[in-house]
Amino acid sequence: MTATQLPARPRAAALRPPSGGTAWRLLRLELRRSPMPWTFPLLAALFAFDPYRTAMGYPAVWTIRASVLPNKMLPDFVVFVVGIAAWVGSRDGRRHTLDLVEMTPRPRWAGQLAAWAATTIWAIVAFLAATAVLYGVTAAQATWGGPPWWPVIVSCAELAALAALGFTAGALFPGRFTAPLAAVGAFVLSLEGFNNAVGRSSAFAVLSPTTYVPANDAGVFYPYPPDVAIDQLMFLAGLTAVVLGVLGLARSSGAGPGLRRGVAVLTAAGTAAALTAVGLAGTARQALPGTSQPPSATAPLSMQAPWVIPALHDAASDQPRPYTPVCQTVAAVPVCIHPAFRIYLPDVAAALGPVLRVVAGLPGAPVRAGQVASGSLVPRSGQVNVGGLPAGEISGTPPAFSYTADQVPARAFAESRGMFITSLQAALVGAFVPAGVSQPATGAPAVPDRRTAPAVAPRVAVQEALLIDVGVPLATQRKQGLIAVQLPSALQAQADIVAQRFAGLPAAARHAWLARHLAALRAGHVTLAQLP
Amino acid sequence: MTVTGLRTPAPGGSAAPAAPRLRWPGLRMTWLFLASRRVPATLAALALLGLVMRAALYWHWTLGSRGAAAQAVPVLIEAGAAAVIAISTYSPMGEPERATGRWLPWLRLAAAAGLTGVAVGALAAGAASAAPAGLAGGSLDLLRNVAGLAGLGLLAAAVTGGLLAWVGPLGYVMLAEIGLVAGWGSPLLWPGRPSHDLGGALCAGLVFAAGLLVTTVRGARDPVHE
Repeated sequence: MTATQLPARPRAAALRPPSGGTAWRLLRLELRRSPMPWTFPLLAALFAFDPYRTAMGYPAVWTIRASVLPNKMLPDFVVFVVGIAAWVGSRDGRRHTLDLVEMTPRPRWAGQLAAWAATTIWAIVAFLAATAVLYGVTAAQATWGGPPWWPVIVSCAELAALAALGFTAGALFPGRFTAPLAAVGAFVLSLEGFNNAVGRSSAFAVLSPTTYVPANDAGVFYPYPPDVAIDQLMFLAGLTAVVLGVLGLARSSGAGPGLRRGVAVLTAAGTAAALTAVGLAGTARQALPGTSQPPSATAPLSMQAPWVIPALHDAASDQPRPYTPVCQTVAAVPVCIHPAFRIYLPDVAAALGPVLRVVAGLPGAPVRAGQVASGSLVPRSGQVNVGGLPAGEISGTPPAFSYTADQVPARAFAESRGMFITSLQAALVGAFVPAGVSQPATGAPAVPDRRTAPAVAPRVAVQEALLIDVGVPLATQRKQGLIAVQLPSALQAQADIVAQRFAGLPAAARHAWLARHLAALRAGHVTLAQLP
Repeated sequence: MTVTGLRTPAPGGSAAPAAPRLRWPGLRMTWLFLASRRVPATLAALALLGLVMRAALYWHWTLGSRGAAAQAVPVLIEAGAAAVIAISTYSPMGEPERATGRWLPWLRLAAAAGLTGVAVGALAAGAASAAPAGLAGGSLDLLRNVAGLAGLGLLAAAVTGGLLAWVGPLGYVMLAEIGLVAGWGSPLLWPGRPSHDLGGALCAGLVFAAGLLVTTVRGARDPVHE
């Protein structure tokens, strides 16, 4: 028999996926030879130093704790997942074994998919193990709610997309420098995505899973809308399909038309999904929690307000989550808090108690104090604000003091229990005697003009005096920026003197003066000189 | 007859042809060494990273204009340069080269030190072309960071082999990035220290010296499967 007698080469097989047994064997081989597990000790060290340490510095609230998964853990994984994937992808090219492996019965793309899947599986295993540790510790500390799964799903999707990008870069450019350059490039891209997401350069920035820290009570009063997470998942899945499809198109020239068609369909579907996600991201906007309504002049947004995408938004996300507040009576006033923040109730009581005792019996003194959702307070001029939003307000009949979780201390942001207590006291004092000037949305102190400053100064002086009376000296007030008004320096000096004099009065005398003049003081009809 | 008896050509046998005498044998050896280490490609990669540094500073890819946030991206690019230097230590020749190359240790030393210098120059040029003020930490900062990270890469090459040595500097820089943000002050995390800090400079210098020493004496490990 000579070569001329050999039967013609049969037509390449149509798209025929490997049988389950073959695919599993291939995947098992790749799982065994993947270098990804060798990076686990390094990833564990990074997890301990970065995401875990940061999460433990946040309040034990599920949503904010889970935010470290995309914000901290993913960036730590980026370098290694992309680098190792590129390393695995470039393996055959680096070792000059492409001719050998392309002769195998199965399309080369199937083998490459197995190698990519093995890298991805190991990366996801490491990620899920770290998530299990984080969620396990949080479960032991959290007093309400359950673990959010969207951050986990989106993070796993990003790991798959990153592995696909790195693998394809390695397969198409199999050089010795591909792995580190791809890793550095991916990390720079990740940082740039984070930069845009935090800076809100455009609505498309919501496509970056790595973004800012949500509000302390995100997902507590209202479900955290999954709109952006769904969009990100769609984008990342589409991107993964496109990247793997491009690899398939580049590597399936010798395969049958069925495979090429299948790869083309996969690429087209991925492109459609990714472009749809980009289009939807363009319609994203921040909304007031629980309303999906855009902000207004009377209801501005917190920087950390959730994003909604109208086409993906479920009205169920706007329904408040039922809960039974936990309360403690202080100075005959019930002080309540959401059960998710139960551990802070003693601090809230310790903060509000002294102020409630001082203002008890005065007109407008609150008869109840309760926690409300961050961003739900309507800004009024002269209140003490946090990031441009009111930290507390007194409203209703009978009057009730409402405060938010914005001041709940996060060790990750160098906030302490002492700061929490003094800021709550300042919020109550600011709501009780509003200074009468609007604070800019940036959260910077309000600066009254020359005409209004003399009318504002007495109210500032009384705020300062009440805080001195409950044990917050002027120096601490200045240091922590508790009085959100910046008077002209000469007037401020006078106000400080008057405040110290007023605080030095006997409690009964001060109480009696306030009972007589509080309405006039709030209306701006009292001058500094008239304060005793 | 055994080979031990072969001292002179057998009578009547023709003498072996003399090897052609090279005009510049040292130069040729150096070139072959550099080619085996893909030094031209390494130089191209370093030039590319210089351009990336320029782009990062020009388009403000940093997370802030000053402090730790401003250093995050430049330090990462410096780690990339160190990773490239570490990978250049890989040799496809392995044992035969070690057995015959008398000048090999010195060539390894010169290549590692020279490439580190080129990396510093490329990144400094990229930074200077983007902004007159250059990097936030200045050129001393750049020199310290690249030298220390390159030392780590060279040490990693002795453990993992040249091709995987990029894990060393990139893994370290991830820790350093965390330290930068968290404000850790240990000189062991020198990228987070000010440029005039003696402790940071000493640590980086010692690591670079150790890396050079190990590379000179031992070279990168030769993994059997590569």
